[in-house]
Amino acid sequence: MSNDQIDVRSEVRAWLAEHWDADARRPRSGGSTSDFIAKVFEAGWAAPSWPEQWWGRGLGKEDASAVISEFRKQRAPGAGQDRTNITANTVMNFGSDALKRKIVPEFLSGRVHQCLLYSEPGAGSDLAAIRTRAERDGSDYVINGQKIWTSGAMSADYGLLIARTDWDVPKHDGISFFLIEMRQPGIEVRPINQITGDSHFNEVFLDNARVPAENMVGAEGQGWKVLQTALAVERLVMGEGAGERRQGSAKSNVVSLIDIARDAGKLGDPVARQEIAQAMAYRQLNALNMMRAKAEMAAGSSSPIMSLGKLAMSRILHEDARVMTRLLGATSMLDGADHLRAADVNYRTANAYMTSIGGGTDQIQRNIIGERVLGLPRETEVDRNLPFRESRAVTG
Amino acid sequence: MITADERAAIRESFARLLTDQCSEEDVRRTMETDAGYDPALWQAMANMGILGLIVAPEHGGIGAGPVEIEMVMEEAGARLLAGPLLSSAVLAAGLISASDDADAKARLLPAIASGERKATVAFTGDKGCWTAEGVAVEARGEGDAVRLHGAASFVTAAHVADILLVVASTSGGLAVFEVDAKTSGVGIERLESWDRTQRLARIGFDGVPARPLEGAGEAAIEHALDLARVALAGEQAGAARRIFDITVEYLKTRVQFGRPIGGFQAIKHMAADLLIEVESATSAARAAAQAIEDDAPDRQVLVNLAAFACADAFSEVAATAIQMHGGIAFTWEHPAHLYLRRARADAQLFGSSDLYRERYVAALENAA
Repeated sequence: MSNDQIDVRSEVRAWLAEHWDADARRPRSGGSTSDFIAKVFEAGWAAPSWPEQWWGRGLGKEDASAVISEFRKQRAPGAGQDRTNITANTVMNFGSDALKRKIVPEFLSGRVHQCLLYSEPGAGSDLAAIRTRAERDGSDYVINGQKIWTSGAMSADYGLLIARTDWDVPKHDGISFFLIEMRQPGIEVRPINQITGDSHFNEVFLDNARVPAENMVGAEGQGWKVLQTALAVERLVMGEGAGERRQGSAKSNVVSLIDIARDAGKLGDPVARQEIAQAMAYRQLNALNMMRAKAEMAAGSSSPIMSLGKLAMSRILHEDARVMTRLLGATSMLDGADHLRAADVNYRTANAYMTSIGGGTDQIQRNIIGERVLGLPRETEVDRNLPFRESRAVTG
Repeated sequence: MITADERAAIRESFARLLTDQCSEEDVRRTMETDAGYDPALWQAMANMGILGLIVAPEHGGIGAGPVEIEMVMEEAGARLLAGPLLSSAVLAAGLISASDDADAKARLLPAIASGERKATVAFTGDKGCWTAEGVAVEARGEGDAVRLHGAASFVTAAHVADILLVVASTSGGLAVFEVDAKTSGVGIERLESWDRTQRLARIGFDGVPARPLEGAGEAAIEHALDLARVALAGEQAGAARRIFDITVEYLKTRVQFGRPIGGFQAIKHMAADLLIEVESATSAARAAAQAIEDDAPDRQVLVNLAAFACADAFSEVAATAIQMHGGIAFTWEHPAHLYLRRARADAQLFGSSDLYRERYVAALENAA
């Protein structure tokens, strides 16, 4: 550890000691968490690796990691958004200087929130087949179309939007990326009723919604490339979040499968024990994989394992639910507050699809692993080089 | 204490040795010989310190531990190394080292480490279950001597062993006895095995005089078996990775319907699923080795997990690899079946996956 790093660490520690009450997990000032995040931003901890003129501290990779690790130790929010803030990263990479100045401080200081306007009813796994259109009108673009599977749309200030600006080039080449204000008359948000009974996701209808041309991120037609950066940040956040959840939940899940078996009078059943072992093994093996991947990456080598986590997790969740159902037997037909175990296992059964479909289905994940990790030939796409107007996505 | 650099150097030089002297052609030639191992390669491994990896320096070894054994076995598995490495350098050396028998250590370990003598461990009887109930040799005190009666089976590399370490039941529980393989009354009958790279034998003991290994009771036996379990897990992880890599290479070059078959989702998705198995096996084997090294609280959980997860992963990968290759892998000349044979043998050695899944749940119950 270098002297500089020790200096940064002690500076962060001192700053946190002054502003954050780790035991109570709240700001010392007595103000709100968002007030605290605004202070984190002003102090330059929100994006420590960025240059000082762009709200950072110009720290190297190791020093920036030290900042994040000190915040994590104190369970304080707001630091390290130079890795995790989707909008701020995307705008910093591709936006104009004017757009950076307008948008990035708003996001880093936690004053505004985003939602993601990517998927459409006709563009799920084949995301590049989007048909939402963006047409230039004076200094604005006018947006018409429908987005789906948007979480947080009700409370978002801005949407990260991909829309088609050119229909006469192949599908990946005619897309542009915008930052659109959500609170306007042309945007309507409707919650989706999910098979779990929850409504985490929304449909978003865009009917002559307007976005100023200066809110385009990257050049016209560069949207697919910009999107890849936004998706990479999102995957990083999801991967790390899943890792933390995994570590936290491994133990509780272990107890619950064994407890369910005991309560159902099946803990002595050798067949049930075999199934419990297999379900718990899937979870523990994935946790061991993630630990090894982190160690390998910390040692400077890349690891293919990071690409496997989502596919592995979907097997874990479906398998957990299947084994729990088997242990409960006929009780699993029941639901409601009087039958909490049944309600829980039925919820898990339905909710497991959120992982095996959302954010790329298991089948798409297998394509990605096969192509990007193992180097197998790409799946053929019959409309890859066609002008989008001639694709069956349009002609039906 | 082995440093990370030393560890990497051991791995690299052992891998290079196997590349030179343990090609598929070498394995095929060796598996058809009576000895079932390559004496020149054996000596080279001894010179490199591989046979004395876990033997203490004062007995002529390197003084490494489970982490290094697991690592070396990944390389051995990848190359389907044939011979008594696991029997002699891991199981027997581990059992002697775990005992309190200073005389046996001084007498036997240097010879095992130098490759001059080979040892193996006879554990289970015809039941083949590697638990106390499976032991079918009894040790009886007869006058001044102890004599062994009964039979052990599924003994690895017994036909080339100089020293037999026999687990036998006594009035005081399980104990270990040293027997010279040439002693009269020892009947070593070679069993024909489906995996031709691993020799198995049944050994009859007809009142054979034996020397007790001091301080080698159930705890020492379990310790040696744990070492053998992670070694085997490493072999399985390394072998699974190798046959997987061979398969992925083939998917890129085999052309049907005008394109490499790896482009078809029906095949590509199988490969993606197998990659999870391969990576999980590696993680499980290494975590178990580290847990033994550290004598970690979750040692039993992790060793049992590795025992069935690596066995199942290797079996799955080897079996699916044949299907993914198609007709070419149904031929004797293609290496895929050699991996399937090893996978199926390894999946039974030291106990089945069912046994270890049961022990894994029991260990988790204890940990909860």
